[in-house]
Amino acid sequence: MSQPIEFTLNGRATSVDAPAHRLLLDLLRDEIGVTGTKEGCGTGDCGACTVYLNGKPVNSCLVLTGELAGADVVTIEGLKEGDAYHPIQAAFIEDGGAQCGYCTPGMLMMAKSFLEENPDPTDDEIRFALSGNLCRCTGYVKIVEAVQDAAAELRRRAAEGRNNG
Amino acid sequence: MDDLNVVGHPVTRVDVDEKVTGTATYGYDLVLPDMLHGKVLFSTRAHARIVSIDLEKARRHPGVVAAISGADAPWTHGESIKDKPFLAQGKVRYIGEPVAAVAAVDEDTAQEALKLIAVEYEDLPAYFTPEDACQPGATAIHEEFEDYRKAPFIVGAPMPNVCEHFKLRTGDTAEGFRQSDMVLEEKYYVPIIQHAAMEPHSAHAQVDPESGRVTIWVANDAPFRALTEVSEALGLPQEQIRLINPLQGGGFGSKGGLKLEPIAMGLAFQTNGRPVRVKFNREETFISTLVRHEATVHIKSGVKKDGTLTARHMTLYWGGGAYAEKSPTVCIRGSLPSPGPYRIPHVHVDGYAVYTNKPVAGAFRGYGIPQGAWATEQHMDELARRLAMDPLEFRLKNVFVDGDMAYWGEQLHSVGLTETLTKAAEAIDWGKPKPAGVGRGLACISKPTRSPTTSKAGVLVDADNRVTVLAGTVEIGQGSNTILSQVAAEELRVPIEQVQVAPLDTDAIPFDASTTSSRSTYHMGNAVRGAAIHAREQLLEMAGHALEGKQEELVAAGGRVHLKDNEDMALTYGELIRRRLGADAVLRGDASYTYEIGKDLDLETGHSDHASAFYMYATQAAEASVDEETGRVRLHRVSAAHDVGKAINPLNCVAQIEGGVAQGIGSALHENLVIDENGKVRNPSFLDYHLVTSLDVPEIIPIVVECAEPEGPYGAKGLGEPGLAPTPAAIGNAVADAIKSRIRDLPLTPERVFRALEERDRK
Ligand code: FES
Ligand code: FES
Repeated sequence: MSQPIEFTLNGRATSVDAPAHRLLLDLLRDEIGVTGTKEGCGTGDCGACTVYLNGKPVNSCLVLTGELAGADVVTIEGLKEGDAYHPIQAAFIEDGGAQCGYCTPGMLMMAKSFLEENPDPTDDEIRFALSGNLCRCTGYVKIVEAVQDAAAELRRRAAEGRNNG
Repeated sequence: MDDLNVVGHPVTRVDVDEKVTGTATYGYDLVLPDMLHGKVLFSTRAHARIVSIDLEKARRHPGVVAAISGADAPWTHGESIKDKPFLAQGKVRYIGEPVAAVAAVDEDTAQEALKLIAVEYEDLPAYFTPEDACQPGATAIHEEFEDYRKAPFIVGAPMPNVCEHFKLRTGDTAEGFRQSDMVLEEKYYVPIIQHAAMEPHSAHAQVDPESGRVTIWVANDAPFRALTEVSEALGLPQEQIRLINPLQGGGFGSKGGLKLEPIAMGLAFQTNGRPVRVKFNREETFISTLVRHEATVHIKSGVKKDGTLTARHMTLYWGGGAYAEKSPTVCIRGSLPSPGPYRIPHVHVDGYAVYTNKPVAGAFRGYGIPQGAWATEQHMDELARRLAMDPLEFRLKNVFVDGDMAYWGEQLHSVGLTETLTKAAEAIDWGKPKPAGVGRGLACISKPTRSPTTSKAGVLVDADNRVTVLAGTVEIGQGSNTILSQVAAEELRVPIEQVQVAPLDTDAIPFDASTTSSRSTYHMGNAVRGAAIHAREQLLEMAGHALEGKQEELVAAGGRVHLKDNEDMALTYGELIRRRLGADAVLRGDASYTYEIGKDLDLETGHSDHASAFYMYATQAAEASVDEETGRVRLHRVSAAHDVGKAINPLNCVAQIEGGVAQGIGSALHENLVIDENGKVRNPSFLDYHLVTSLDVPEIIPIVVECAEPEGPYGAKGLGEPGLAPTPAAIGNAVADAIKSRIRDLPLTPERVFRALEERDRK
């Protein structure tokens, strides 16, 4: 049975009719038509479907539409800062962090959240944080590099913010 | 060739913006207007006759538009043996085989309808190893084998269930063994693994009710081959079929041929023009799409005390699964170089591709090379140990060098093998002291490419100075759009930002054989280069008129043509086109590239004076230790030296090597699609299959070796496929060196390592 659900998607108020058992992943991809969030497994094992839900990264294939009322959802489509790439996007571009790109949206969302918690990580900490996000193409080397570079850029910005403030 | 502006430079991927912003549309993302949702009922039996299928209840279920079984889609296909029905016909041959399908208004409804389909089976004897399946007296998995349409290179064998027998006969191995000082015989095994591309499989199809034209949207790595297969299967002319290729989220060989396309088409013929989408979820992808061939490899080698190889005798059993798919060509191209890239005077190889009642084995990155390499390269170390020779030195003594006559009868050139060996070894401090318990190992390979094949390309230049590449190469993540853009930019002397690659649609794009076998940079690179030169020549000719200069006085640079001694006398390409052809005109360059093969492979001897357009050479070296308590392998570092001919994009080469090595590590240490004694896949999820994670990958040291191939564009060969081929053997050799005990079956699980330690301690 469908019911109206209201939530915020990438900063915009959104209202959809969907059954409460519909997965957030399917809601985004099939009903709203926002397909940047990827399905790799549908069972919580790959991280391709990672989105922000109320400020935390979640596997959207494990979230039911029924849980969404009033929630704040951010997907890969909401990562850019206006016209500019988020530093994590810029670093993936620069370092070659994406090959087929299918894991990339989930990887970026996860990496962004990780850097919010740990702005100055070691490589091992990055590897640990991303170990739930599978990539079959890159061997993770360039991904770890990109996350390090994004961390440096974000730290530089934070320092600049402090100096200016 | 130091004057190259774009080629040879570490250019940023041209397709990356859409990938980091989520705007890229993959096959799995595609939603078509008014689309129906297809779902598939899979066989629950490994080998059984279908007594009956009852679709009536499913057909009457509200919301169902079509329900079909093999009887409603009476077509078969297959690249070299036409043995595979669109949906099971009369019998099933593996658990997971599509038996029936439903198209409904949404997925839930389709799923409900599947439960209403009743299938009655009558079991038949089933075979789960290639050796069992080809024993005398085994029941035929394909009774109709004799009657199937087959490619001319299919060679039968007087054994049941063999769909291809490859033979290589060089010299006289009996004589070679007599000349040797030592003979060693061993057996090795490589299990089934899966590609596990992050994007699962899907296909969309639509049949125009008026014209009968079939359109398929699918992330297929060989759209023109699929076109041919569909046309042959349906008996439709190729003009009646169109393939549109959305972006592909990785394939590694799994997305060629026909996979979900037949099911989507079968349904679309019954929906009165409505498009049908068939999507497999991850579990369905694991049990019903494609896997890599399991292989049992027997090797017997003769060697002299000084380390000279005198003879090698090999028998390879390739487990093909229920349908031939690519088994015949994997058997040929995997068995042919399986004795390794070495000078061996007496060689005898028998490769058997054998049907089994398991999921279908097909193309997988490396195309049969990894299986042979696991066996031969470990065997080489076993020989070296008995000779008390350093494994590097042993290889260097025997490896192919320029001018060698390979054992398949071809004189080799541009062989960068020695350089890859020394560089990969050096990168992990080969020969230097190491702590106790640490082992080092290496492995090398050569890999042919599919030959002969053709690539055609077009290059468009418009009045706005934009350059568009028309190429049938599929961007599967390997970076081909970037490479081809670089080539076009180089030849037209424009910044790469001005170049785009047109979307892949068989109605608009010229023919290409396939995006497989690491053939694209070489073949399509040559075609795009030719098409860009053709466009440039036309521009120069037009400029000759416009600038009133002779051809030899004109220079094309920076998107303009100018006079050699007067740069101000210049016109941009756009201006030239506008002036000479009109404001809306587009100038087009075209080219076609075919590698002209020498003699075809002789089916009795396996000999050919040109088996491949080029060969890729690689060596990888690994350093590892083992946790003696748990048997867990700890990888310290892996170096990977690959002879690419010429790195068109060094950044991309490194990325390909790193990704390949990571896949190689997975197949070395944990990947194994476990199939139980009833033929059921036991680990059809990422969690249970254990794909390589960011925690499993150690330091990787990529090394690009450039031993130019004269026929290749700018000297390039290929790179994608060999990335994972030597990795397991290099790791296996490192582990054997660390624990002084040999494991001959993949993967190197803690349990196997533990048993190897026990065996060592018993001795
Ligand atoms: S699709 Fe959600 S974790 Fe894989
Ligand atoms: S880039 Fe292909 S899965 Fe990560």
